[in-house]
Amino acid sequence: MTELVLGALWSGVLTGSSYALIALGLALVFGTMKVINLAHGDLVLLAAYVAYTCESALGVNPLLAIPVAIVVVCAAAVVTYALVSRIRRDRELNSLLLTYGIAVMLTNGALLLWKADIRSTKSPWLQDAIVFGPFYSMRSELLFFLVSIILMAGLWWWLTRTWAGRAVRAVSSNRDAARLMGIDPQRVELASFVVAGLLAAFAGVAVFSFGVIQPALGTSLTVKAFVITVLAGMGSVPGVLVGALLLGVTESLTTTFASSALQELAGMVLFLLVLFVLPNGLFGARRVGT
Amino acid sequence: MSAAAGTRIAWAVVLGLVLYAGVPYALAGNLYLMSMIVAALTIGGIALAWALLGNLGGLVSFGHAAFFGVGAYASALLVMKSGWPIAFAVVAGGVVAALSAVLVLPALRLRGPYFALAVLAYAHIFRIVATEWKGLTNGAGGLSNIPRFPVVAGYDFASKTGGYWIALSLVLAFVLVYWRVRESHYGTALRAMLHSEEATRAVGVNSTLLKAMMLFLSAFMTGVMGAFNAHYINFLEPDYAFSGLWTMLPIVAAIFGGYRTLFGPIVGAVVVYLVDQLVFKAVMPIGHQIVLGALLAAMILFSPGGLLPLLTRRPGRAQHA
Repeated sequence: MTELVLGALWSGVLTGSSYALIALGLALVFGTMKVINLAHGDLVLLAAYVAYTCESALGVNPLLAIPVAIVVVCAAAVVTYALVSRIRRDRELNSLLLTYGIAVMLTNGALLLWKADIRSTKSPWLQDAIVFGPFYSMRSELLFFLVSIILMAGLWWWLTRTWAGRAVRAVSSNRDAARLMGIDPQRVELASFVVAGLLAAFAGVAVFSFGVIQPALGTSLTVKAFVITVLAGMGSVPGVLVGALLLGVTESLTTTFASSALQELAGMVLFLLVLFVLPNGLFGARRVGT
Repeated sequence: MSAAAGTRIAWAVVLGLVLYAGVPYALAGNLYLMSMIVAALTIGGIALAWALLGNLGGLVSFGHAAFFGVGAYASALLVMKSGWPIAFAVVAGGVVAALSAVLVLPALRLRGPYFALAVLAYAHIFRIVATEWKGLTNGAGGLSNIPRFPVVAGYDFASKTGGYWIALSLVLAFVLVYWRVRESHYGTALRAMLHSEEATRAVGVNSTLLKAMMLFLSAFMTGVMGAFNAHYINFLEPDYAFSGLWTMLPIVAAIFGGYRTLFGPIVGAVVVYLVDQLVFKAVMPIGHQIVLGALLAAMILFSPGGLLPLLTRRPGRAQHA
């Protein structure tokens, strides 16, 4: 029993670390632009399909596809930014609809290019089991867990120690004041989109190397990333990490003790509970207004 | 009665005759096109409900598929398991959909983008519940042989033309309800709320209640369309009833036609759905909705007010917000 619980917790932490990368990208863009990018999950999916194409067409290890994924996804993120930044009127509402349109295009583009079939990695090296006592995992899960930690540490360093990262935080907390301090908000917004794309590229390759992908996955990843930001409370980076781990652990406990079909439902119930009981999230400042 | 009002009534009568008699007569032999038009009207009804929530309630929803599916299942199950007459069950489908919207109420406390995404998450929940609650919904196996619309006064409403008349009547009834709400003092309060929610609250309007009422009305309409569709096609499964298409198509239709107008969403639905099915689907059997995504993005960038206002804008006339 204890072993089962420990195993489920471990596997939840591993998945949660990839969720964190996805949710951090969503939160970063929301912070600077006050725009929720509904195409974010599809950017992750795009990276996953880049990894799939590299593996199936060129026969290279999905890990080596990461640079290609970064280029493709960051380019897509820049295009998304270029389109979103053209919106002048009613930005909050119109940017949602615009990014929703982009998400529909990406999902259907994936259907056109890669068909509706479910894909997963063929690499036995990535799928090898690595076991420490009750802690069972695939090599790919462990690898991307480490990658996630490095990326999150890097993000933390960027946000707190570099000029550009501080500018991102300044624009997030007060756009007008940041502008008066000589920060160009548009460059900062672009930077947040590129960094979100970078995180999405790693997360996408991770999703492909330990899971299964199909075109509909993009929307579900967007929903997950959103659920995590609600759990976290708006504008809390450590909150995102905790929210992501909470979602990962809830899902893996459900898979272990109930059924994998209910996995997604468990995450949603968690989301509902937080929405009803703590509408500001676990770590949020009081942001819920009227 | 003024001459202008007389002309208007004359136009309405002509339009009514064309819609109720002309279209079915002209297309009587073309069952395929007729079923396309019924589907387009179904989407038009959801698009109108979606636009009502957006225009009057100021809320964007990415989860109307939830209400559509709930209405469809509720009506089908009431007829199949409790033996309700179809007409009552369709209305009850709308009521159950509106009741299911109660679950979305806490999301009203979240502002703007958060409501939109919370509803997207709800749509996911409803689909999973419909798949897993096998005792009630027969799970992924779905419900087949859902009773069709009956024969009334010698006319078979299960026919294509019958389905067309029902869908058209529902959509026109929704237009009437929408118009009445917009012109009522609720409409005035809602307009004021969209301009400044704080100021409206300060003069004693309960804005959360108003938004909730628009949400219920929108969910009810969507649920009724779902119920109609269930009896019209006689089959339901979770992946169909809760498909993201029931969210995506109405959004594209409403934005394309103009979501702040009464008829824009319906005209948009007919144009968008027919062009998508007859042109793009023929070229690209799968993934053809990529064009709809591009259309939505282009509309938002170049004409967020929709096509109908763009076409009817008269040169030299002052533009009001």
